[in-house]
Amino acid sequence: MPVLHELQAAFLQAMFGPDEPQLLEAIAGDGLLPAARLQIYRHHVLTSLTEVLQATFPVVCRLVDERFFRYAADAYIRQYPPKAPCLFEYGADFPAFLAAFPPCRHLAYLADVARLEWALNTALHAEVRAPLDPTELGGLAPHDMAQLTFQFDPSVTLLDSPWPIDQIWHVHQVDEEVYAPVDLSAGGVALEIRRWEDDVGFRRLDHSLYTFRTTLAAGHALATAAEAALAVSQEFDCVTALHELLTDSVISGFTL
Amino acid sequence: MVHMSTNAKLGVGIGLRAPHVTEVLATRPAIGWLEVHAENYMGEGAPLAALERLRADYPLSLHGVGLSLGSAEALNDRHLSRLQRLIARLEPAFVSEHLSWSIAGGTYLNHLLPLPYTEETLEVVAQHVMHTQEVLQCRLLIENPSSYLRFVHSTIPEPEFLEELVRRTGCGLLCDVNNIYVSCGNLGGDPVAYLEALPAQAVGEIHLAGHAVNDTDGRAILIDDHGAPVSDAVWALYDHALARFGPVSTLIEWDTNIPELARLCAEAHTAERFWQRAEEAGYAGVA
Repeated sequence: MPVLHELQAAFLQAMFGPDEPQLLEAIAGDGLLPAARLQIYRHHVLTSLTEVLQATFPVVCRLVDERFFRYAADAYIRQYPPKAPCLFEYGADFPAFLAAFPPCRHLAYLADVARLEWALNTALHAEVRAPLDPTELGGLAPHDMAQLTFQFDPSVTLLDSPWPIDQIWHVHQVDEEVYAPVDLSAGGVALEIRRWEDDVGFRRLDHSLYTFRTTLAAGHALATAAEAALAVSQEFDCVTALHELLTDSVISGFTL
Repeated sequence: MVHMSTNAKLGVGIGLRAPHVTEVLATRPAIGWLEVHAENYMGEGAPLAALERLRADYPLSLHGVGLSLGSAEALNDRHLSRLQRLIARLEPAFVSEHLSWSIAGGTYLNHLLPLPYTEETLEVVAQHVMHTQEVLQCRLLIENPSSYLRFVHSTIPEPEFLEELVRRTGCGLLCDVNNIYVSCGNLGGDPVAYLEALPAQAVGEIHLAGHAVNDTDGRAILIDDHGAPVSDAVWALYDHALARFGPVSTLIEWDTNIPELARLCAEAHTAERFWQRAEEAGYAGVA
């Protein structure tokens, strides 16, 4: 008779691997093979976690078709089983896993589409924080302004890709009848994914604005971010970019 | 113990699932109460905000699936404190969990896994229930699981195990009538005798759901998939449960092949006819 923690360790092994003889001995057959009873649990564990990934990455699933998705998910689940019971948080490593998964290496954009879907999931569940009131910065001297750093809203992800992943995402929405083919050679995109009011979504940023915001999001000061953006494009308009930053609810706080 | 009385009679409610949230917000259907899986609302975004709006119009119940009260290892403190925060925010009428385990070696298996019913397990589960009730400052309702296997070294029948758990911890019970039917079908046993063996006064909530019948190596196995209407046999067992426990707050769960909201509410209204008959008959529950 195994003690409880040994029984549970063996059960865990059996969910992701072959039957454990000691575990089978502990299971009553009651008219079935113990292995057949164990298989009911194994099947549910793997299929329910696959469904969780399918719900979080629906476009990836459509891109590779459901059968291949289940195959990839099965391999992912065995390698990275969940470590906590809140399954909306499960799948953070799935994009990186797909990038390195040999059977889908020919779909170069797949991992970036997965990153986009993960960012949308993150935005959906992120804490709702009040946006910064821009008048709080009203009295600052220009020198102080240059040294400001900002806290971004927790829903925000900034993501760039050499592929038009926003278009790929759009044409694979089931509820929109968009059949336009995506031109994969159209070039890359830089996206801001976040919550807008009650909805989550994303928009394209031009490369200088993307650089401005990613530099700020990495914790650098306003002056550094402006320089980095100007290095991308001499036409970068710092005043407009700052005004927009402070008025579109993307910033929740600042540090001087 | 604060927040909740597990004797509240809320009538019949529905398990609220993501595809129905927008419609429930917009139409506010006539149902007694709502129950959600606590784990789906532990983020701080739109799902929780929607639930906070619904909370103003419906009594709410938090049904946990991730505490893993039957794990030999320590409970996940972070998870427990997230549940604590959610309770503070939503002030639910009931908080419930399962007689099962789902975490081993820190890995979460997303299934309500079976326990050997031994003195060791009783000790483990009782400790975890007491710790949880202490942290959450509320009485837990513990649900009987649906089972597909039993362990040869189990020595305590499941209803007796639950009765002893109630005695040791002061917890209440969530009697899932469909689970009783499924487990008795899969492991052998008389569902009515199971109901009769439960401590009636401890039952604070009833669950109803549909199940599937699968053929496994030539033997019918009942799968608790919450994917169909409640079966006739389970309705009959529910009637028996009401006669024994009184008009206990009842919930319809539907988690796979999720139908239109109207169909789910129709199932709740069917349950309501049983429930009202029990209330009119003045069943107070059998002491």
